[in-house]
Amino acid sequence: MNFAAKFDVFWELFIERGGWKRVLSVGLVNTLLIAVIGLLIGIVLGTLIGAVKVMPKYKLLPRILDKICTVYVGFFRGTPLVVQLLIAYYVLWPLMGISIPPLETSIIVFGLNSAAYVSEIMRGGILSVDPGQMEAGRALGLSYGTTMLKIVIPQAVKNILPTLGNEFIALIKDTSVVSFVAATDLYKTFTEIGNVRYEYFMPYLAMALMYMILVLLISWGIKVMERSLRKSDRN
Amino acid sequence: MIEIKNLCKSFGDNQVLCDITETINEGDKVVVIGPSGGGKSTFLRCINCMEDPTSGSIIFEGEDLADMKVDINRHRQNIGMVFQQFNLFNNKTVLENITLAPVHLKKMTLEEAKAKGMELLARVGLEDKADVYPSTLSGGQKQRAAIVRALAMNPKVMLFDEPTSALDPEMVGEVLEVMKQLADEGMTMVVVTHEMGFAKEVGSRIFFMDGGKITEQGTPDEVFNHPKNERLKEFLSKVIM
Repeated sequence: MNFAAKFDVFWELFIERGGWKRVLSVGLVNTLLIAVIGLLIGIVLGTLIGAVKVMPKYKLLPRILDKICTVYVGFFRGTPLVVQLLIAYYVLWPLMGISIPPLETSIIVFGLNSAAYVSEIMRGGILSVDPGQMEAGRALGLSYGTTMLKIVIPQAVKNILPTLGNEFIALIKDTSVVSFVAATDLYKTFTEIGNVRYEYFMPYLAMALMYMILVLLISWGIKVMERSLRKSDRN
Repeated sequence: MIEIKNLCKSFGDNQVLCDITETINEGDKVVVIGPSGGGKSTFLRCINCMEDPTSGSIIFEGEDLADMKVDINRHRQNIGMVFQQFNLFNNKTVLENITLAPVHLKKMTLEEAKAKGMELLARVGLEDKADVYPSTLSGGQKQRAAIVRALAMNPKVMLFDEPTSALDPEMVGEVLEVMKQLADEGMTMVVVTHEMGFAKEVGSRIFFMDGGKITEQGTPDEVFNHPKNERLKEFLSKVIM
């Protein structure tokens, strides 16, 4: 195998002819958009679902909500992400008579999928907070929701931050399947470079490196956040 | 002030409180004593419905708190509660712990709540701890801060659930001192405790609870010096006074 030749081809396409611009401005941006907005949707929706799951169940409404959430989590954890993307893009949108572009479809599906996982993480996090915190809030006359939002969930989030970081990393890596519905992400832009000369050796190696750097940066960012959130433990 | 009528509480098949009827008047300092498992804490926690009574009623300000239709949150604003494990909000500073509820429930503006909080903290000797997180406080300091948090709501009655049981012996005094002050100012209090000295000195009425019932009650003198109930006599002979 002629590594020098492969490298020369890649250098020409990626650097000299400016292929890197599309990789960064389209591929990387879309990958991050899907993962970041997906995670944000996942956190908001997942927290709601997690909160429903830990609600006391002696009234009818929480029981109904709980059932809905169980079905939701069951579906999104029980089917592969790619299948969910395909179902949304090729089945659900046509059925609903709407057309949503690939990128937006990916963001929505990643958000809904992530919510299912985050809800379980959040449920565990909420249960890890001392029940005395909820009691103290209720004894002061605060409602269940207020105490949950202001006291319990902030402490739960602190406990689950490392796990939430894992979820984000998993999302970043899972974005590599969005080309199934024709969205352009990192994988797609590197493949395009390979397609020019049917030479994929270097592009895919560079792609792997790029994903890894991305994940390492995120891990570092999570550590910094964790440290700042821990300030209430000791100071 | 609080009328408790035929209060019963069961956890599954286990009946913890049986048919308790009592009236707590304004200014009363009720001290509940008795052996473990006698229902003392459950009785206290039923007063503000932290435990929902199985049957019976708790009449406070003309409304039955045991009725699920009553807005319990509104009434709890007037019933302060202090826990054995303090339960300060770990993610808030001491002053934020104190101001959170009054501000959120629109009883005070943030400025008013802060001023009130600082004034109360100064009274219990914690003014220099306003901006630290609870994890840095000692047990006694935590409990004093928790008492201040309850007082900041201007409650009409204060419930204490074994407030000194989780404290190191040398910190018990500082917390009891704050409670004594509060009693002297005329606060209506219901205190579950194992501190017999405190019960004798501060209590205006002593309830002795055993087997889910208040089997004897009276002034400290009646209960401690002239007990009638056999179980109470046995209990008193075992506790160090």
